[in-house]
Amino acid sequence: MYKYVIRRLMLAVPVLVLSSLIVFGLMRVMPGDALTALMGESGNIGERELAKIRKDLRLDLPYHEQYLLWIWQMVSLHPGDSIFTGEPIAVSLGKAIPVTLELAALAMVLGLVIAVPIGVLSATRQDTASDYVGRVVAVSGLSLPDFWLGTLVITFAAIWFHWIPAIGYVSFWESPLRNLQQFLLPAAVLGFRLSAATMRMTRSTVLEVLREDYVRTAWAKGLEGRIVVYKHALKNALIPVVTIVGGQLGVLLAGTVVVETIFALPGMGRLTVEAILFRDYPVVQTNVMLVAGTLVSLNLLVDLTYAWLDPRIRYR
Amino acid sequence: MHDDLLGPLPSRLDRRQFLTRAGWTGLGAGALVAGARRAHAQPRVAYPDWIAASSNPPKRGGVLTRASSWDPPVIDPRLTQSIGLHQFAVLVGNRLVRYAFADEASGPTDLTLKGDLAESWQPSPDHRVWTFKLRQGVKWQNVPPLNGREFVAADVKYCFEAYAKEGAQSFTFQEIEAIETPDKYTVRIHLKTPNVLFPQNVAEPITILFAREVLEQDGDLKKHLIGTGPYILKEHTRKVKVVLARNPDYFDKGRPYFDEYVILSTPDAATRMAAFRTGQSDIIWLASPSEVETVRKTNPNAVVQSYHNTLTPFGVALAQDKPPFNDVRVRRALSMAIDRQKQADTLFEGHGIIGWGVPYIYYQDKAPTLADLGPWWQYRPAEAKKLLAAAGHPNGFETTLFYYEYFPQMTSQVQLVQQDLKRNLNIDVKITKLDYTTYYGRYAESKWDGMSWGFQSGHAVGLDERTYQYMHSKSTKNFFRVNDPVIDQLTTKLRQTPDRADQRALTKKIVDREFDQVLRMWMPYDNGFLVFQPHLRNGAALALRRTDGYGASAIARVWADK
Repeated sequence: MYKYVIRRLMLAVPVLVLSSLIVFGLMRVMPGDALTALMGESGNIGERELAKIRKDLRLDLPYHEQYLLWIWQMVSLHPGDSIFTGEPIAVSLGKAIPVTLELAALAMVLGLVIAVPIGVLSATRQDTASDYVGRVVAVSGLSLPDFWLGTLVITFAAIWFHWIPAIGYVSFWESPLRNLQQFLLPAAVLGFRLSAATMRMTRSTVLEVLREDYVRTAWAKGLEGRIVVYKHALKNALIPVVTIVGGQLGVLLAGTVVVETIFALPGMGRLTVEAILFRDYPVVQTNVMLVAGTLVSLNLLVDLTYAWLDPRIRYR
Repeated sequence: MHDDLLGPLPSRLDRRQFLTRAGWTGLGAGALVAGARRAHAQPRVAYPDWIAASSNPPKRGGVLTRASSWDPPVIDPRLTQSIGLHQFAVLVGNRLVRYAFADEASGPTDLTLKGDLAESWQPSPDHRVWTFKLRQGVKWQNVPPLNGREFVAADVKYCFEAYAKEGAQSFTFQEIEAIETPDKYTVRIHLKTPNVLFPQNVAEPITILFAREVLEQDGDLKKHLIGTGPYILKEHTRKVKVVLARNPDYFDKGRPYFDEYVILSTPDAATRMAAFRTGQSDIIWLASPSEVETVRKTNPNAVVQSYHNTLTPFGVALAQDKPPFNDVRVRRALSMAIDRQKQADTLFEGHGIIGWGVPYIYYQDKAPTLADLGPWWQYRPAEAKKLLAAAGHPNGFETTLFYYEYFPQMTSQVQLVQQDLKRNLNIDVKITKLDYTTYYGRYAESKWDGMSWGFQSGHAVGLDERTYQYMHSKSTKNFFRVNDPVIDQLTTKLRQTPDRADQRALTKKIVDREFDQVLRMWMPYDNGFLVFQPHLRNGAALALRRTDGYGASAIARVWADK
């Protein structure tokens, strides 16, 4: 297994190099630069002054030199400063990552809490009212976009309960209660969407496993239905579910910008989108590489989980 | 199979039954919602355009909170004119001169200049030298490295020279030839050319005076912003909040009234509205009458000020230095082919202005009507077609238009213009929507062809900025590429005309010339509403300076009556 892990890690290197080239290239292809965005609507910045700032920021170097400089900064774990704000990128990430991680983790937990029981129920009671309700919930989760659901949730919370989560992010360590209040609704919105695909996958795989011979044997032995389903069928039905959940976690880390915007949370999504809009090259490049690295690691982790779920699986 | 083994059979429901039941349920719910909406339908309320200052004695204390869509890109006032910064920078620092606040003004169009850090100011007879006498005993905020030292004339000289040297405000300060400080409280500014409007330029919110020690210590002002203003910048956490704490040593004794002013970064409009409804935000800007009505359903006691813009920041900019737009007949034809009234009625729910670029308060008392703008601004498609044919384009032509969506209705507005030009003049407009950075880079570079959805910046109050700086052919802010010798002559003359009545007459001439030549093709713009929690006092917005935006210095006069 160690050999397998090492081989997978080696394979990650070309993936990351390719990702770095793509993000570096795309950022340079985009018109405009951070200085244009920074100067905003002033309209009175001389060419000489702009050239001086570009030189200070080393944006006047040939592209290959800029690329190599950036790679060196990444490898030496000093990704530099934001062009736009002047803040060290490590500091920006240090603030944004915990927000997104907490949001993703809570959303994942809520998603699984919704998805797995309903998926199992839907499978075990196929073509009944509860199955149809479960499927409708799943299709709704897939169909309703985050921006719509999030807006609706915050608007109706204000109208009906005269309450919305306190705006102005507070970290968990500063005030756990207030922090959880702030994360509950956004995590529920994200979790609902995540639960949809997981719910459908759970339903179909449980249905499939319930038709297996060993399950029939379990029934024949006179085991309780609950034990048959949860102990014998569910574990074996979880491999495709884990694959989906792993992928979703990766998507969550990179794709929470809409929910972060609606609920005013200063996470990775907002940091990255703002950096893209303002052509803050080092911030975008670092964030993308971070997400790429996380996705590669998550995929590996998911693959390793298979063996735990199904001992027949061997890594070579 | 599994059903049989798991216990009692649940009742079976086939697809058809399920869909039928779901359909009836949906219809029933729809009818209920429709009925509820009808029951709540109310006629629109007319809101006042001015809220007079409270006659009660102000009360001290409390925290003022506002959910804001803007984030400061940086806190260095030399580097940006962004409203994200200037929504609070003007509370940390002061200017030499300021405009009247709501509790001093006779109405929203009152543009009286008052002393801020300067007590008085006098021009030389030729208006090339301006002498400002500073207020004595003003202290910098009591935070390191200033530690409450006295504010003196040398600070003004240092600051203005730094602004002129580099950054986004340099245009305003580059007209300064030299600065003298004959004593601690006197600043004498020599201009390169006469300018009677110079005090207005140093009353702009972007001209706050910052602390030299911070710039010398850090090399920039990106980490600390220290001034002489009513509030001390206590905390700035990007994308979270800005916290301002009352400056106990502020020279205007007794003010500000609130202990803290907290600006919460809230990029989503629905969330800002929810924050206001739940009392987390004390002030909100709403664009349309329907939004105000929506808020008043849950907050019936909210105080609403109907804002009336004195200018529009947006219009179609034409590459008028090149064919076909260098022909005034083409510009006039285009202008007459666009139905502005339709845009105002549909996109802005009737609460918008038809569009003009120079604030009308500088040349007349009432907002212009569509008829006041002259013949080329009326919707006359048949005449437009004839004029375009006379200009040699009987079959229209193809052109391009790029824009950045500053607000949601803008895309519809651009498309309406495209439809009007196609239908009435057979002009094919290829539209390109850009992100802000791309748009701004291309627009400000002024090398584009065809058309652009142009802008003039939002911060400026002064007449000089709105005339000479945006229209003179040699100005770097002449984004609309105006190149008209008459305009050059008139805007230069305006800078040398001290008498207010003469200024008004001259400004009217500039505006008439602009309308006649269709030099900037202004488009309708919304007016909006400023909505306050019922306990807030003295927060009314004034022309060209909204309390929640570039006019934020007025927050020092706002208090809570509770």
